[in-house]
Amino acid sequence: MNSTADISYWELASGLLLFIIPISLFYIYKIWIIKDVLIGLVRMLIQLSMVALYLEWIFELNNAWLNSLWVLVMIFVGVFTTIRRVSLNWRMFVLPLLVASITSVLIVDLFFLGWVLKLDYFFDARYFIPITGMVLGNALNHNIVGLSTYFKGLSEKSELYIFLLSNTGNKKLALNPFITDAIKQALNPMIAFMSVIGLISLPGMMTGQILGGSPPSTAIKYQIMIMIAIFVGCTINLFLSILFSNRFIFDAYSNLKANILKKK
Amino acid sequence: MIKATNLELNFSGKQIFKDLSFFIKKGENVCISGPSGKGKSTILKMLMAYVIPNEGSIKVNQLLVNPENIKTIRNKIIWIPQNINLPVNNGLELMELLNLTNQRNRVEELLHELGLESSFLNQDFAQISGGQKQRVIIAICLSIEKDIILMDEPTSSLDEDAINKLISCVSKLKNKTIVSASHHLGWMESTDKIIEL
Repeated sequence: MNSTADISYWELASGLLLFIIPISLFYIYKIWIIKDVLIGLVRMLIQLSMVALYLEWIFELNNAWLNSLWVLVMIFVGVFTTIRRVSLNWRMFVLPLLVASITSVLIVDLFFLGWVLKLDYFFDARYFIPITGMVLGNALNHNIVGLSTYFKGLSEKSELYIFLLSNTGNKKLALNPFITDAIKQALNPMIAFMSVIGLISLPGMMTGQILGGSPPSTAIKYQIMIMIAIFVGCTINLFLSILFSNRFIFDAYSNLKANILKKK
Repeated sequence: MIKATNLELNFSGKQIFKDLSFFIKKGENVCISGPSGKGKSTILKMLMAYVIPNEGSIKVNQLLVNPENIKTIRNKIIWIPQNINLPVNNGLELMELLNLTNQRNRVEELLHELGLESSFLNQDFAQISGGQKQRVIIAICLSIEKDIILMDEPTSSLDEDAINKLISCVSKLKNKTIVSASHHLGWMESTDKIIEL
């Protein structure tokens, strides 16, 4: 296979010209998200450029401690982003969400890197960082949807929680409908995506590998494994985030604390 | 059985009630009555510690309502709210949610007493009237084997005939302590005692 055709900086810059189309449409139809789009674009350019520089350095060193530190940074950023987007109380949720993320990453990485790929060097930056990043990136989206559904459900449907807790005498049964709703809302898009993958969408990892010169059969095997890793990782992360959070969000009477969501 | 002493509740800087005391004997049927906003439903929730009073204490079966005893206390109480949104489509699903599938016969018996056929258990809540849904929920909750029944505005969605059937059904419950919040005259008259707020 040939190696990937490189993109020059001029070609990359010219690619940005495509943005003229959506920006023009937003302007013509007076959809005032132009500023947000441009800020997002600039942030993406800066962040990815910095990551490219940093990753080149980190890949070169390929040090287990440094790679693990980088993964920890990714976990922290994911947790803080989730807390901010769901408007949760920082103090109450940092610990449970961190523990949930670290546990899910450990399980998925041990399985994927240790068992499936049987890497001689488990912390190899080429595998450890992108695969963990893919799991964490997806978990971020699903956690935001799932935790938002769960905590808003508990806050807004307190009558249902009281009804179930009183009449069953069992907190697990009382929380079950709220957990079910959160998991369904979070995972439904991924289930839909899995069911049409290859038909109406060619996922990024597979496309990237093919562009990078891997045979399609290898790319597909990786894609299947990464989809499994993402689904399992996201599910474990969300479940554990909910279960660990439950230890902090109720008072001594098993009543939901008033300050779990920040006032907007 | 239930003893409330000098209860005081303030909410958002406003005093809802103060120095409220009452005693309810075992097996008594008591109605808490008063105008809207006086805290009728809140008192029921206080008995289960879902609302904590600013002052005063409550004892249920000699047990002080506090974090140590709350699980035991809640395990003795059935809670029947008014107009609740449930994440189920029919009575059978509600029984499953409440872990009451083995109570089918008792639920059907109670449904008949409330003037509904057993088939109402299968009927979609969206396809039956608010009063019929409320009676299905009441029948299912009353089948739970606990000593104390708390009912919030039990007559709110019911017509006079259904209210009479509910009064008759409740009067047949033996050894149950019933505390309700209501301002329906017929319901109030059917109880043993009225606590006026």
